[in-house]
Amino acid sequence: MTPIHIKKGMNIPLAGAPTQEKKALPLTKRVAVYQEHAGLKPRLRVQEGDQVKRGTPLFYNKKVPDLQFCAPAAGKITAIDYGPRRALQRVVIERSEQDEAETFTKYSADQVRGVAREEILKNLLQSGFLALIRQRPFSRIADPEVTPKSIFVNGMNTAPFLPALDVAVQGHELEFQAGLNALTRLTSGAVHLCLDGDAMPASTAITQAKNVQIHSFSGPHPSGNTSTHIFHIDPMEPLDKVWTVRGTDVVLIGQFLLSGEYPARKTIALGGPGVKESACMHYDVGLGSDLGEALAEKLESKEQRIVSGDALSGVSLEQSGFLRMTESSLTVLPEGREQFFLGWMAPGINKYSRSKAYLSGWFGQMKKWNLTTSLNGSYRSMVLTGLYDKYVPLNIMVDYLVRAVLAHDTDEAIKLGILDTDPEDFALCSFVCPSKMDIAGIIRRGLDEIEQEGI
Amino acid sequence: MKFLLNQLHKSKHLFEKGGKLERLYPLYEAQETFLFTPPDTTKQAPHVRDGLDLKRTMITVILALIPATLFGIYNAGHQYNTVNQVADATFLMHMIQGLIIVMPIILVSYIVGGVLEVAFCIIRRHEINEGFLVTGLLFPLTLPPTIPLWQVAVGIAFGVVIGKEIFGGTGFNVLNPALTGRAFLFFAYPAQISGDEVWTVVADKTNVIEGFSGATPLAIAAAAPQGVDIVETLKNAGFDWWHMFIGLEGGSIAETAVIPSLIGAAILIGMGIGSWRIMAGGVIGLVAAASLLNLLPGDEYKAFTQLPFYYHMVMGSFVFGIVFMATDPVSAAATNQGKWIYGIMIGVLTIIIRVANPAFPEGVMLAILFMNVMAPLVDHYVVQFHVNKRQAYVKARKLSHATS
Repeated sequence: MTPIHIKKGMNIPLAGAPTQEKKALPLTKRVAVYQEHAGLKPRLRVQEGDQVKRGTPLFYNKKVPDLQFCAPAAGKITAIDYGPRRALQRVVIERSEQDEAETFTKYSADQVRGVAREEILKNLLQSGFLALIRQRPFSRIADPEVTPKSIFVNGMNTAPFLPALDVAVQGHELEFQAGLNALTRLTSGAVHLCLDGDAMPASTAITQAKNVQIHSFSGPHPSGNTSTHIFHIDPMEPLDKVWTVRGTDVVLIGQFLLSGEYPARKTIALGGPGVKESACMHYDVGLGSDLGEALAEKLESKEQRIVSGDALSGVSLEQSGFLRMTESSLTVLPEGREQFFLGWMAPGINKYSRSKAYLSGWFGQMKKWNLTTSLNGSYRSMVLTGLYDKYVPLNIMVDYLVRAVLAHDTDEAIKLGILDTDPEDFALCSFVCPSKMDIAGIIRRGLDEIEQEGI
Repeated sequence: MKFLLNQLHKSKHLFEKGGKLERLYPLYEAQETFLFTPPDTTKQAPHVRDGLDLKRTMITVILALIPATLFGIYNAGHQYNTVNQVADATFLMHMIQGLIIVMPIILVSYIVGGVLEVAFCIIRRHEINEGFLVTGLLFPLTLPPTIPLWQVAVGIAFGVVIGKEIFGGTGFNVLNPALTGRAFLFFAYPAQISGDEVWTVVADKTNVIEGFSGATPLAIAAAAPQGVDIVETLKNAGFDWWHMFIGLEGGSIAETAVIPSLIGAAILIGMGIGSWRIMAGGVIGLVAAASLLNLLPGDEYKAFTQLPFYYHMVMGSFVFGIVFMATDPVSAAATNQGKWIYGIMIGVLTIIIRVANPAFPEGVMLAILFMNVMAPLVDHYVVQFHVNKRQAYVKARKLSHATS
């Protein structure tokens, strides 16, 4: 199988990539479940002081009442935190000695292939694992009413940093296949598994996975983004619906179906310049782990930002935060508030830039850089043109798409291909933008607007 | 440097919300970020950002303009010393004389334009934009060295206010602000910016070097009668190809700076700031249009039609204009294909205006301004073409997927 080669894009030369090693961490004393989905209306099923088992539903979605979110550990609910406008933010649980678990239906790996679609869906809704499956266009939680034309499983990790599928599947080969089998029941079309052609996984459970179509992509990031895969394998028309899921999450779904219990642990990647070099690797951690405890003595001493997910499109977490359900990596970056004298004049050998206006643009592309959270400039109007297109391999004129969204011209935005995209596809555009524009945020607003208006 | 930064931060509260000088915050911000890189961190994803910002981008353009500016200064002094027969003038004397002529023009442009720019930023409560640094230098370089300073002030004011600020400031302008200012002067005060006598500073009209007319090569070429050998005519007037390529002749301050502008082009393209597509398009357009005109029967049309393209390239302000003016990303076409068309059309129009239009000896400024206006139209068609192709791709892929 020859990989589909992606030319556009770039790899962010971020230091501190996690190694392929995996270590198990002890379960933390406290765990939490975040409400991490935009547009979801949470309603609580529990209150402070309640005892819960692993898998007990904590809250459900008012819009789709069957979709519930469950406790990742048995224990007592010690806090229910609210964010702005009294919106539920998270439910905190103190782990108890006994690890009691709710029982769900249990299947064998082969059985899953024969289970009805409704039954699989029911299980995924009950456990909340349906929230790991996203629906295009608009990138929302999969709608159980919809039968997608195909499902894309993303087995790549080109963004800095995501967990390697190889490491996550290690020891869970059966579960991975069971998860894939379950996905095949959900779609009328094919399940596509997309792998990294430049760094093929070693495990045959991945490279010879059954009941799916395997594709491979090579080239720089975003060759590992799902939009890239969809666009090059089976592009969408405006009314098509496609589901997408990360390969590492398929393992979790498989674990849930085969054990009939809510899984207690998952594989995450930890990396970034803010992490001690010896600690940059994969970990087997408890779901919803307390970061303060899990990351103790793994971070550098300066002020750090902990990003749930990758540095390009993750969400920053408070230092006292917990591991989120939808992300399986933590990227730690030093906060870059330092001010340098006459920086605009500096030759730029110490400052990373993709552009050739700094010396690093000429000589620093092969190095790894300790990038910080510095904006490296100030917000300005859009001035340079044609820069973004080099980083989006979806045949999209980004300048014009951004302008169409800003002008609320949704028809034009659809024609220009916004429905083929996810905000994460524009992260590199924001990265290189000299005007420091939030391109990904603009695209998110455009998608929201189209979703509200209807296509 | 820590001390300086602390002093800055100490006065910061005066300019922040609720401070006494709150309205002047843009001034404070400009000063702080001029001296030190801004302290801002990313608020959302992506959490890391590239080192390039707009300040650096604009500084790179200034850097690319420095050779042309220095050459313009040298040439103004050189012309002065030559025409006024200053004895034993050395390189240093040329530079000093050039500075005396050119510096006031640049300073007036920066001060008047800068004050207006800052005033608009304070009223709008915007941060001060770096774009003006480039406009403020580009504008004086397009003016004849004899320009009255009050006209410099009026011109840059027009360029900044009408050319840019009324549209919303940097990033929103339709026309190149520096060229808008120049075009305003060109039509409002033609006596000081056209003809034969404005291109060199003459101290005493009775004491000029023998044979000095002040006419530029373009004027000479345009005036050449039907049927003569145009290259020979230029040569007789002292303008052979090498002479014009080196550019030590009368003209707007940086107009004749062919070699320094090429160095500027190398900097802009090398650093990825200027669009090579526009520059290459301009050259292609100019070569094509000039070569087509060469095909006309020489004895029936003006001798100017017979001038080879490589002469056109080194005459007038073509190189300076296509490198620094046409590539202004805000007023140029924004799509890659659009940039080619935009550049080619500038080259073609330059030749048409130069050769066919009796009123304007030089066509670069008007060609660029005209294409500034046309750029959105060019882009519109490029985008429509793209949309159609994109939809066709999705359909084709879908079909092939369904059958496979």
